[in-house]
Amino acid sequence: MRDIAELVLDAAVAERAEYADCRVVQRQVQAVAVKDGRFAETSSFEDEGVGIRALVDGAWGFAGVDRLDAESLEEAARLACRLARASARVRVRPVRLAPCPPVVGRYATPVRRDPFEVSLEDKLDLLIRADEAMGRVAGVTTHEASLEFVREHRYFGSSEGSRIEQLIVESGGGMDATATSSDEVQTRSHPNSFGRQQLCSGYEAIEAMDLPGNAERIAAEAVALLSAPACPSGTMTLILDGTQAALQVHESCGHPTELDRVRGDEAAFAGTSFLTPDLVGRFRYGSEHITITADATAPLGLGTFGWDDEGVTAQRTVLVDQGIFRAYMSSRETAADYGWTSSGAMRADSWNRIPLIRMTNVNLEPGTSSLEEMIATTESGVYLETNRSWSIDDRRLNFQFGTQNGFLIEDGKRVRLVKNALYAGRTPQFWRSCDAVAGPSEWRMWGTVNCGKGQPDQVMHVGHGAAPCRFQRVAVSASAS
Amino acid sequence: MPVPARGGFGVGLVSASPAELLSIADSVLEAAGRDSAEVAVVEQQHSLTRFARNQIHQNVTETSRRIRLRVVAADRVGVAEVRGEVEGATERLVTTAEAARLLAPAGEVTPLPKPDAGPDGPVAFSRATAESTPEWRASQVRAIARPVAAAGFEAFGVVETSVTQTVVVSGTGTRRRAESSTASMTCLTRGEAGWGYAARHHSDVNRLDAEALAHEAVQACGRNQGATSLEPGVYPVVLAPYAVAELVAHLADLGFSAQAHQERRSFMRPGERLMSERLTVVDDAADLASMPFPFDDEGVSTRGVSCVEEGVCRGFVHDSATALRENVPSTGHALPMPNTYGPWARHLVVSPGDRSLEDLLVDCGTGLYVTRLWYVRDVHPLHTIITGMTRDGTFLIDQGRLGRPVRDLRFTQSIVEALAEIRGVGRDRSIELDEGERALLVPAVCLGHFAFTS
Repeated sequence: MRDIAELVLDAAVAERAEYADCRVVQRQVQAVAVKDGRFAETSSFEDEGVGIRALVDGAWGFAGVDRLDAESLEEAARLACRLARASARVRVRPVRLAPCPPVVGRYATPVRRDPFEVSLEDKLDLLIRADEAMGRVAGVTTHEASLEFVREHRYFGSSEGSRIEQLIVESGGGMDATATSSDEVQTRSHPNSFGRQQLCSGYEAIEAMDLPGNAERIAAEAVALLSAPACPSGTMTLILDGTQAALQVHESCGHPTELDRVRGDEAAFAGTSFLTPDLVGRFRYGSEHITITADATAPLGLGTFGWDDEGVTAQRTVLVDQGIFRAYMSSRETAADYGWTSSGAMRADSWNRIPLIRMTNVNLEPGTSSLEEMIATTESGVYLETNRSWSIDDRRLNFQFGTQNGFLIEDGKRVRLVKNALYAGRTPQFWRSCDAVAGPSEWRMWGTVNCGKGQPDQVMHVGHGAAPCRFQRVAVSASAS
Repeated sequence: MPVPARGGFGVGLVSASPAELLSIADSVLEAAGRDSAEVAVVEQQHSLTRFARNQIHQNVTETSRRIRLRVVAADRVGVAEVRGEVEGATERLVTTAEAARLLAPAGEVTPLPKPDAGPDGPVAFSRATAESTPEWRASQVRAIARPVAAAGFEAFGVVETSVTQTVVVSGTGTRRRAESSTASMTCLTRGEAGWGYAARHHSDVNRLDAEALAHEAVQACGRNQGATSLEPGVYPVVLAPYAVAELVAHLADLGFSAQAHQERRSFMRPGERLMSERLTVVDDAADLASMPFPFDDEGVSTRGVSCVEEGVCRGFVHDSATALRENVPSTGHALPMPNTYGPWARHLVVSPGDRSLEDLLVDCGTGLYVTRLWYVRDVHPLHTIITGMTRDGTFLIDQGRLGRPVRDLRFTQSIVEALAEIRGVGRDRSIELDEGERALLVPAVCLGHFAFTS
């Protein structure tokens, strides 16, 4: 890998690149799925390639190539420079980069049990037991369980002298049970929706999920939802479980604190942000219970690494401090616009994509309450868990979420299962209405494996630490009765 | 601006010829040594020049190759895939797929489809697209950004080209290959108090007109300054083709798949009229007005499927697994098999009506004109209820004329219920790409009601 990087960087510098960096990436993915008692998928893919980014005449070019012979690599480096020169033809301001000291180092995800050393037989056995347990519950129409493992070996080199090697390992798994009636389809998932929960971890993360042990429960819950009443509509107290709180953080704090969105770099696709730079340090984003960090050093998170894809050291940035908006996630280029240093959030989803500002682990820091205390001190409201639908506008203000499961709360007790729950609001008003966040014992790291951004589209794996939390005066309704 | 004529291969990174890819696929198939093996090789060159605030800020080209092996034997299936020129790729593919197959529990396995003698065409392909260069893309950005800047606005968007070679061979005799291309230009324009949008997609870069694109985006932005709020509620709407594409793509994903029907997740009730008789939707992979492609990921010829005919629910798209369950032939809509997702309607075409845009505004009377739908997500799949936001130009329609801009609104609406009251369908259609980069050929429509919730 090092030889490839040196060759590419030399070729780019020979083409008069003012700056160049290169990522050599080897990626291995194994996916296994069982559905309705049938073996639905076992696939393994290997991917290897090089991404070269060159700054020439103050503009960027990038070439990705999966042929690793010297001729192809040098040609790709020249192409990156040619693309940069073409970019410079339509340039208003030259790119400037915030300083970043060159780094030589190594990082590896801490792993207790290498998931690629666990036999496929054992993985299938786990899934079959979970799938069969779901299938035994009367009324369930479809059920599936799946696992996915990722091992990514990255080498980063820059013309400034950085040489970084990282080995990232991810383990993910999950299951869904679906029950259907003539006018309803209800699904329950464990540990999370979107197919799976995933962490930077070894196979121990899968063992901790206890898929077979939760299979019958979620299947029964899916069936029970068919005959449950619709969630009531009105303005009421809302309690979210940790998984839904994590997605709320993702959509309404993670994305709007990406500095490239603020500059307009993502306007053509993902959108912009309501959090403009004049608001830094003075805008009340949420209540005093709300502290949100972007922490690439947090254990287990899918955004945990040693250095980002520009060679900037992993760090913890306080985005919102006791309710006040404090900072953005940034890159060397965007930070330079404001005289800041990069927050180390540049990430590419593969060798063939340029790094973009992406969430690392955007965490809602734990509070001092607990789920049971929140419920016990709620006179009337709903407790909602596990995301089912999500939508937010291009400035990240107007949102609406739906959840799989809900419970009506009356006089401090969960009194009834309700279905098809939706809640909606505007970001700052919503977070300002938060009056409780559960403490460290209920705080978990969750993985989001479907975060889309950029053109060409990149699907990033990001982490969100979150705990149950409570909000007041939220608009709640049901999607259908 | 058309691509200037030139000789040679202009993209930059050398790609394999179709014959070379076929040879690679054959060698993997031979190494697998089974009648019941299938090999797919997909090679793509993709270039995208992205601009923001009137200048290029990202400019990328990638060349990638994917080889996928599926082995089916003794009631077991195994799959392996290699991307890039991985050392010893053939041997690793065969070893990994076979290991997965041997460990798989024996059970109901869909056999590989037999060749169906379908032609390897028509295919949306343009030599000019394949030969476009970084310098040409930069010239197109300049052609877009200049008039936008002259109007006092800022331009954001992409100029994008891709060329894909696809080969599928199998031990049952399937031998398919196709070379396809796509080209896109999009432009968002930002004024001091609002945005505009325009997009064009085609297989041929010469069919994209940067100046016309910029003109549309500038006009839209000019109209969309200083939007004021509007009370949420139920309004008649005229949806531009950009918005119709989102609606139809979600409708298809919620019900056109035979797997969704078999799992009782589909809203479709075959033979019943659930929508307006003005609505006809087919999945037509041979429509030359869109982006035709002749076969699916199993190498099965993609047949036209009438999904909604004059408002009546008709057929479903199949892959070989769903077809086997119903003892019918596959319609050639498979994704890489096996998978849990099922078949996918990926060539959606909505029949045109006879109305001009002006006619549709008159059909609407008083209501809203919606340029785009954004961040659309399913809320209640069986009822086809979706939610999302309007974006980049929402206008009042006042007595049949386009009026003042209004702030973006959230909608929460059943697609089927909205399409049950179609007042008019546009006669002009355009190719649009949805989030999954699937091409749809759609007109503008006027709907009698659409629920805006916040």
